[in-house]
Amino acid sequence: MSSIKEKFNQISPSEFFYSNRDLAGFSNPTRSLYTAVREFVENALDACDQKGILPDVHLTIKAVDPEKSDPKPYILTVKDNGPGIDAEHIPLAFGTVLYGSKFGLKQARGMFGLGATMAILYGQITTNKPVTVKSCADGQTQNQFEILLDIQKNKPVIVKHITKDAAKKGLSVSICLEGDYSKAGNKIRDYVYETSLITPYASITFDDPKGQKFSHPRFVKEIPPPPTIIRPHPHGIDVERIRRMIVESQFEIPTIDDTMIEKVRKDLGLSKKTLSFTSIMDKAKKKWKNLSRQVRVVIALMSFLKMDFEKLNKIRIEDLDIPNKKLFYWDFGDSQSKSVDMDPDSQYYKQLTNTVQGEPLTTFLTKRFQRIGPTTAVKFAEFAKFKPEKRMGTLTNQELVNLSDALQKFEDFMAPDSSCLAPLGAEPLEKGIKKFFNPDFTAVVQRPASAYSGFPFIIEMGIAYGGDIKSGGPHVYRYANRIPLLYDEGSDVVLKVVHDTDWGRYKIKGEPPFIIVSHICSTRIPYKTAGKENVADRQEIERELRLALQFLSRKLASFMSKRGQAEMAKKRANLYAKYIPMIAEFCTELSGKKKEPNFQKILDAEKAAQPKLIPEENEIENK
Amino acid sequence: MKLKTSKAKEKNRIKELSKKADEKQKNVLEMLKGHGAKIYDDLDDGQFPKFSIPSRSVSNIVYDKKLRQYILGSNAALRSSRNSAQLRSFTQLMWLAFFANRLTKEKKSSTLRDVYYSSQAFGVEFEDQGESDNIIVDLEAVTSRAREDFHIFPEERSSIFGDLNIEYTIPGYEGKTMNLSNHPDGYSIGPSLTTAELVDTSAEIVIAIEKGGLFTRFVEEQVDKKFKSIIINTGGQAPRSTRTLLKRLHDEMKLPVIVLTDGDVYGEHIAMVIKSGSANAAHLRELTVPDAKWVGVWATDIEKYKLPTIPMTESDIKRCYDLQKDPRYQDGVWKKELDVFLKIKRKAELEAFSKYGLTNITDKYLPQKLELAKSL
Repeated sequence: MSSIKEKFNQISPSEFFYSNRDLAGFSNPTRSLYTAVREFVENALDACDQKGILPDVHLTIKAVDPEKSDPKPYILTVKDNGPGIDAEHIPLAFGTVLYGSKFGLKQARGMFGLGATMAILYGQITTNKPVTVKSCADGQTQNQFEILLDIQKNKPVIVKHITKDAAKKGLSVSICLEGDYSKAGNKIRDYVYETSLITPYASITFDDPKGQKFSHPRFVKEIPPPPTIIRPHPHGIDVERIRRMIVESQFEIPTIDDTMIEKVRKDLGLSKKTLSFTSIMDKAKKKWKNLSRQVRVVIALMSFLKMDFEKLNKIRIEDLDIPNKKLFYWDFGDSQSKSVDMDPDSQYYKQLTNTVQGEPLTTFLTKRFQRIGPTTAVKFAEFAKFKPEKRMGTLTNQELVNLSDALQKFEDFMAPDSSCLAPLGAEPLEKGIKKFFNPDFTAVVQRPASAYSGFPFIIEMGIAYGGDIKSGGPHVYRYANRIPLLYDEGSDVVLKVVHDTDWGRYKIKGEPPFIIVSHICSTRIPYKTAGKENVADRQEIERELRLALQFLSRKLASFMSKRGQAEMAKKRANLYAKYIPMIAEFCTELSGKKKEPNFQKILDAEKAAQPKLIPEENEIENK
Repeated sequence: MKLKTSKAKEKNRIKELSKKADEKQKNVLEMLKGHGAKIYDDLDDGQFPKFSIPSRSVSNIVYDKKLRQYILGSNAALRSSRNSAQLRSFTQLMWLAFFANRLTKEKKSSTLRDVYYSSQAFGVEFEDQGESDNIIVDLEAVTSRAREDFHIFPEERSSIFGDLNIEYTIPGYEGKTMNLSNHPDGYSIGPSLTTAELVDTSAEIVIAIEKGGLFTRFVEEQVDKKFKSIIINTGGQAPRSTRTLLKRLHDEMKLPVIVLTDGDVYGEHIAMVIKSGSANAAHLRELTVPDAKWVGVWATDIEKYKLPTIPMTESDIKRCYDLQKDPRYQDGVWKKELDVFLKIKRKAELEAFSKYGLTNITDKYLPQKLELAKSL
């Protein structure tokens, strides 16, 4: 029996990912090179974002042997100016799978820092070379590691570790991996280009294996506000989640042993003193605010037992019978079970019931969820047919299910707090679009935050027309949490929404020169695959995308019709200029006159009456 | 039979003729000048020139019982050079007036096709001849003059044969005379013939016939002599110049006009257009011979003469129903024959008489119809 168990335990996360690397986007040399670039660049950007540093990211790909034909080993290096990693964490961070700092409810490009380790793992498998990490976390010393991964044990093997003087913080990661740049090059260049559009505050350079240099300097100086970690939203929470939250909120009656008593004495400042029961209570009242929950519970018990520390040492608490308001305890001295009545009006009674039965429903809601105030909590309780003071610890399984259902259905909760999200913002997005496409028309919108299955999300979208944009549009640039999505376009929800649109309705016909930039920000993007390339069509997300696109399309339509009018006026003026002189010529001979009539007056008047063509129209909707 | 005239009388006559032609030319030129001056003044005043043009839409074409032809109603459209959608056609019409002015002034003739090609030399664009033809009709409508007055003639020619003396009025031929029975192929009815003076004739009737083949047969069979007639080949639907000539033969020479067509609904309508004009030319007068008579081939003749027939096509039948709604087909022979055509749903060609011998039509049918015409 135990041998089977051991066998299971022997499969480390490294081994699991080794055998399932396709899932993470390392299926072939082309895709793997591209995925590795993504993982390291995104880690670099995330690290800078978290510390509010304007990122400088340098990406280099060099062929080990330029003469060899693809696929062949490449050295991929990504260097940033982020906070770096402390030397002690480096081996674990780069030498173990599932080690990371990105757990928690907030938006980041990567979820667990898994991808980078996967890339390292892939590199090691294909070239048997260690990863080289150079990190400076204090601005003085650079730690340089060469690390191999022990796949079976999921442990780092340090091949080399040296330290050097350094002047700047930052991290540089370099791996050697089998790749196919001749096939992946386009995608990687697109990726870098598109990343710089959605990260306008970053400066990104790319030195490719052919010696070409791609430089994308930052053109926005402000870094968008970083996301905060937040409490969950009641919509879309499930029974299991509530159960766990209740457990978190509940406390057991602490075992009152010597250590516990010692702790209470210390916290009350009575380590050396022995006081009477009444004095202890007075002291506790004074210090109440600074006492820990455990200590408060002990004091509350003492208040009903009416015992000092001496006596307390000789009993054991057996049970709290809240319905009958009785406290049972075992007296070691008499060797028998005894009980005392508890006064429900007492301050301490509340303390104890809270501890045993958990918080009342309203407190639970206001304290553990985002954006629920006392009024909403009471309203909800009425809606869910619970007493507002219902103790969470006393909920039956059926009541739990009812509560979970009601949380989903209640419509008066405020929209989810989007402070855990880090949208780019309408203004930088517009700036980016203008810089990249030099369009005749730009409009951007940031939708208010919404939620699907309890995860908040925000849609940002931009639309641009004309200028340097190629015809054959709409060209769609898809982003999720500031990552460009380049593969698996066909099944993406954004493209579905774009394709469903009847562009004729918006006066856009033929093969128009226009682009759509869509950015979905969420604490969890519902990717269809682990490769993170296409977003599933969740109803709530689709709806928000549709609303954003409709809003922008209407703006575009009004631009198009204004532009149409201006073009018409211009066309008309051209017609006048062409035909009026002809009419003048013919009527001169017809009427037997020698000199042509002065028709210039008409042409001049018409020119003056022409509406001015506005070269660019800006529409910013920022909510 | 030619009239003998003294030399002085002859000279006088020529003078009169050219005076008459000059008079007409002067009128046309004055009228064009008036239109030109109005537009010139508008332009000079900084105004977009415009003019009103009678609407030629179906709703504005009405049948005038008094005139016994279709005329345009009172609806008129404003054509303005300010309207960018009309600017092009406005310019085309201006050019056409300008070109017609030159033609008239210099006494030169042109054809519909020639007008279309000439436009290119002036930088005026026409999509195709259809567009240019349409503008010519516009000019007719605005000026209430037939295009022939501006020396613009259709390409198609019909022909005439018979004892008729004419005297040319066109430049270079003024005073020259011609007898139209001198050449057995007949004479083509072109600008010079249409504008010629009709001097005299021994004929007592004009026979308009739909087909060239029968026209030739009639000449060979000396129908002109046998029935003292002038024979005109309309070549299907009679061109305007031919209709003008028919009218002049009727009005000026006091000759009755009879029309012989195929025994079908289209033939019947060819006769009707000669009699009372077409909706297409509702903007023009002086093109109809209200007294013209259609003598055959009637639907009733098919049975009567036991003519070989062919069945009517779908479009023949549809045409019958269309014409039943036409106010001109509400009574008399027109209505009667149309109803019979619809009843028997068969038709016969003029050549059907050949079944009974090549000359059967001239020997038997024509005399009977001529007799009948007197009572119509």
